[in-house]
Amino acid sequence: MTVGPNGGGRAGVPVGWRTLRMGGVVLAAVVIFGPLSSLVIWSVAEKWYWPHLFPQQVGLFYWAKVLQGDMLRALQDGFLIAVVVTILTLLITVPLAYVLARLPIPLKPLILMIFLLPQAFPQLPVFVNSTTLLYRVNLGGKFWGVVLIHMVGALVFAVWTMTAVFRSVPEALEEAAINLGASRLKSFFSVALPLATPGIIASTLLVFLYSLDEFTGTLLVGSPFILTLPVFMYRTSVGYELQVASISALMLMVPGILLLVLLERYMKSEYLSMFGRV
Amino acid sequence: MRLSLRIACLVIALPPLAIVIWLFFIPFLSSAHLSLVREDQWSLRNYYLVWRLYRYDILYTLWIAFFSLVAVLVFAVFLCGYLRIHTNRAVEFLFKIPLFIPFVVVGHAMRVLLAPKGTLNAILSQVGLININDPPSIAFGWMGIAVSLIWKNLALAVLLVLGAYRSVDETFLEAARNFGASAFRQIKDILLPMSRASLAVAGAFMFTSMLASFSVPLMIGSGEPPQMVMIDVYYRINYQGDYGTANALGVISYLLAMGVAGYYLRTISQKGT
Repeated sequence: MTVGPNGGGRAGVPVGWRTLRMGGVVLAAVVIFGPLSSLVIWSVAEKWYWPHLFPQQVGLFYWAKVLQGDMLRALQDGFLIAVVVTILTLLITVPLAYVLARLPIPLKPLILMIFLLPQAFPQLPVFVNSTTLLYRVNLGGKFWGVVLIHMVGALVFAVWTMTAVFRSVPEALEEAAINLGASRLKSFFSVALPLATPGIIASTLLVFLYSLDEFTGTLLVGSPFILTLPVFMYRTSVGYELQVASISALMLMVPGILLLVLLERYMKSEYLSMFGRV
Repeated sequence: MRLSLRIACLVIALPPLAIVIWLFFIPFLSSAHLSLVREDQWSLRNYYLVWRLYRYDILYTLWIAFFSLVAVLVFAVFLCGYLRIHTNRAVEFLFKIPLFIPFVVVGHAMRVLLAPKGTLNAILSQVGLININDPPSIAFGWMGIAVSLIWKNLALAVLLVLGAYRSVDETFLEAARNFGASAFRQIKDILLPMSRASLAVAGAFMFTSMLASFSVPLMIGSGEPPQMVMIDVYYRINYQGDYGTANALGVISYLLAMGVAGYYLRTISQKGT
């Protein structure tokens, strides 16, 4: 960054300035990685007596143990639920988002409002009653009950991001196709959909991560029959199985970090801000 | 619109709407209904019980949310000011990481870090800052919850505030620099006032999410009063099966969230004029 002639005395000492910058990076790294680093140490600690700074015995004993036990089942169930939630949400949201973005349908503000509700109000007290409703139709504690409760939150993200995506596709392109004799359906599939694909992919990943990390709804609806990784980790953590919980926590961080690195270049910050709500 | 198109729209809109209405809108309304019923009769006893048992918990929740919000905003305002004036990609990237770490993981990490026999106390005892036989407990109290919420929300705040700062025209900052304004003055007198509306929106949003936080206090809380409101709702149902009082607490949490949302909408409409 260039600093003007009156830009202050610091510009004259580039070495000191660079040190300060490095200091900033180190400080940020400590703030961010500090809390996470104890997870890594705990995941390989076979014996760790307090108040020693490092474990007395380090090894992969708990990793081996965990990869055979209940955690694997929770991981599989959670992954399967996330895949189903993502596919279903994508299938029903893409057409709706297109309709909301393009067609003059009645009650549009009301529809958008309904899809805002689950973000505007605390989820837990509502989900408590949703759980009662799901048990009433015999979906409580079942795979499909958890899928449905995940879809409530997932739909909110998907509808809002995908509507924005379709709005950003220039309408003139579609009008041109329609003027040349294409039907609405044809213009959707051959003009709007291809142009919206990058945004739809971003939104899909968002939904997938949301479902993978969802905790409240899964705990209420699924527990104790359906366990996903977040709920499994919660149980082991409060049960003081710290190694098992830390390994689960590390596994839970992997998809998010991968996504962050992957999408850092491609994703607009509007989408990025949605991730903070998981 | 042609009739066939209308029907197509209806068919398209119905399934997603049905799910959200069935599993969010109706349960939301039934909160209000159930909170006013006790032993199959209309009554305000649930609210009386909330007042008697949980009024301090409501204040406790508000205090944690307020404290965390102020800490996050103060930090974000200055960090983003620094990042806006002197670009630092590495720091910017690092502060995006918490966005992608789920709340439960943050709760567990802070539990391991801040517990009486946690990693932080182990480090502090090495340098002799604390007494090993009587280690302070930051987790299992309001500070632990606040630290976790601050850490997680910092990323969101940095993202939103930096976005607002980036939309402030560079020429304003250049003009100020030419008159010798320090970084602090550039933040205080230019960046902050020009992005006040965005800051208010980000703040309102984070405040609601902190009020409604459940997994973090569930993992960090002490299990003894005072508790955050969401924990009270969960325990009331899990241990007592008392849906009336739990829903009364729920309704109060909606009202708090609505108060914040009202502020948010007012700021948005002011921004428009």
